[in-house]
Amino acid sequence: MNNPHLNSTSVGILANPESGRDIRRLMANASLFLIAEKCNIIQKMLLALANVGVSNVVMMPDRSGVAAGVIHDNEIHRSISPDSIPNIHFIEMPIDGSPVDTVRAIEQMVKMGVGAIIVLGGDSTHRLVAKVCGATPIVPFSIGNNNVFPEFHEATAVGTAAGLVAIGAVPLAEVSRLNKVLRVEKNDTINDLALVDLCITNDQWLGTKSLWHPDSFSELYLTFAEADSIGLSSIAGRFHPVRRCSPYGLRLELVPPCDDVIVISAPIAPGLIVNVGVSNVTEILPKEVWHVNRHPYASRGVVALDGEQEIEFGPSDHVKVWLENDGPTTVNVREVLAKASENHCFVKFPVMPLENIEERRDAFLEY
Amino acid sequence: MTAKLKKEDLLRAYRIMREIREFEERVHVEFATGEIPGFVHLYSGEEAVATAVCMHLTDEDRVASTHRGHGHCIAKGVDIHGMMAEIYGKKTGTCGGKGGSMHIADLDKGMMGANGIVGAGPPLICGAALAAKCKGTKGVGVAFFGDGASNQGTVLESFNLASMWKLPILFLNENNGFAESTGVSYSVPTPNISDRAAGFGMPGVTVDGNDFFAIYEAAGEAIQRARRGDGPSVLECKTQRFYGHFEGDAMTYRAPGEVKKLREESDCLKIFAKKVISDNMISAAELEAIDKEVLALIEDSVVKAKAAPNPTEADLLTDVYISY
Repeated sequence: MNNPHLNSTSVGILANPESGRDIRRLMANASLFLIAEKCNIIQKMLLALANVGVSNVVMMPDRSGVAAGVIHDNEIHRSISPDSIPNIHFIEMPIDGSPVDTVRAIEQMVKMGVGAIIVLGGDSTHRLVAKVCGATPIVPFSIGNNNVFPEFHEATAVGTAAGLVAIGAVPLAEVSRLNKVLRVEKNDTINDLALVDLCITNDQWLGTKSLWHPDSFSELYLTFAEADSIGLSSIAGRFHPVRRCSPYGLRLELVPPCDDVIVISAPIAPGLIVNVGVSNVTEILPKEVWHVNRHPYASRGVVALDGEQEIEFGPSDHVKVWLENDGPTTVNVREVLAKASENHCFVKFPVMPLENIEERRDAFLEY
Repeated sequence: MTAKLKKEDLLRAYRIMREIREFEERVHVEFATGEIPGFVHLYSGEEAVATAVCMHLTDEDRVASTHRGHGHCIAKGVDIHGMMAEIYGKKTGTCGGKGGSMHIADLDKGMMGANGIVGAGPPLICGAALAAKCKGTKGVGVAFFGDGASNQGTVLESFNLASMWKLPILFLNENNGFAESTGVSYSVPTPNISDRAAGFGMPGVTVDGNDFFAIYEAAGEAIQRARRGDGPSVLECKTQRFYGHFEGDAMTYRAPGEVKKLREESDCLKIFAKKVISDNMISAAELEAIDKEVLALIEDSVVKAKAAPNPTEADLLTDVYISY
């Protein structure tokens, strides 16, 4: 780390260039975020952070051009206006060119005490971040495909919100949410989590990790389900929505569509709308432990976390799932900006009282 | 997953990968004796790629290979005895001993040939795929190409043509990290070679090239897509080679111990075997039996290749010209 004097008024930005290349580009209509676009997004965030008074930003290094692109863009901005961009500190860490880099970077950002971390990525990147970010608030920025956890906002707004939280201009408690998570344990040894959906399939292997064959789904656990979402949570979102802030989650038993069950038409990947049969729906409460049943016709199964197959299990394995209220703290960008506006955080000169404006309006009308 | 793999599929996959590995290990040994003419470029370490892709193909489907083509040939079903004899330059070789390592071709198996020119396969596969499309055979073409070839104009022109004409092609990038001795991070400006597909209006996907199951699934989707007429795609498999660019390459561009570590931690055969054994799909004894059979097969191919006659003067002009 180049600068040991960072404190909570600094902001971390996590942009792993390796994310977003999975098979959903082949079997669905998923899009690709190029490095140049990621750099462009980061640049807007940096300008916004500087604008609200954040002077230090921490980023992860990479070998694929994000860091190099940011450095290059910053040199141009600094040559025009030296104060327009915060100081950027790249973490000294090994680079694997894999999701492990995300975990390493977040651990370092937390250790350095940044005031907030902006995460560029989809559900799976946010899941990795959630495993290690602790109490540090994250500001999700959606890039990728089946994104449900991070909501869509413009990069300048996200940078502004992260900066306002980090410098304490708005109280974190009023603009943030402690998220629910689904925790999974295999044989009391493997522990992992999902932020949105946890699906049990009867697949044999992880393969490319993505899910798109609903016939293999047997159980689906959800922290929330919104009607406008995409991915597995859309199955419940389209007939039994659950809000992010609701004190419970959902458990669905899934079967191939037939006459005896509810059949939902759901977009389980971008552009991939399939019929899914739901034989049972249960609202699940925090700490209520569910023991995973193997698919009746399969000896093996896989646990998919936020749309990616992660844990294989066999006949002798014991897998349990439960909901918790101890997920990551996320900043609500819209709330931050609304609160900041109410508090006149963006007003550079004294605010004209409302009655003055009314008096002036009356005077104008009389005239 | 695209399709459930049955036990016989897994045994077949292991056998093909093992055949490629033992073939290459033996060529490595035999080349050092000086008996093999020409150059050889070994495929050891990349077996999962050719195997997982070619398991989706029939003899009607075409493959355009590379200079590192032995693995593609074996996976596409070319006879191992014929291949070994070809490498030895013998009359009994797949191409009568006149092609050698870099020109093994067997059109009956859909193998259009290994190819000494970097980036030459993709344009050829465009022709084969166009023929399949015009004839309505539902055949597909697979062009293997490396990270070095990905920077050749021929490859990018082929991407453009294939996408424009919606040709039934899988452009299969074997990114083994080195174009001869140039590291991929020195020559490719994007994190993934598959990123380039978007610029040509094609889907591009990157998978772990040491994971047979991931490649099998992704290749299956891409080939299915091509077969139903939805056009080409790019699949990048990030893998590694255990030997140099060519036999005799001292690999001074690699870190000390790098290959040893790869063999220990990233060997696709070890990863596959560990997986199927731990899943109780196949027993260790069954895999060992395959290992023995394959070793015997390779030994037999070398013995027969060495004993086979050389081409004669009378063979000089055969198979050179063809009348249509």
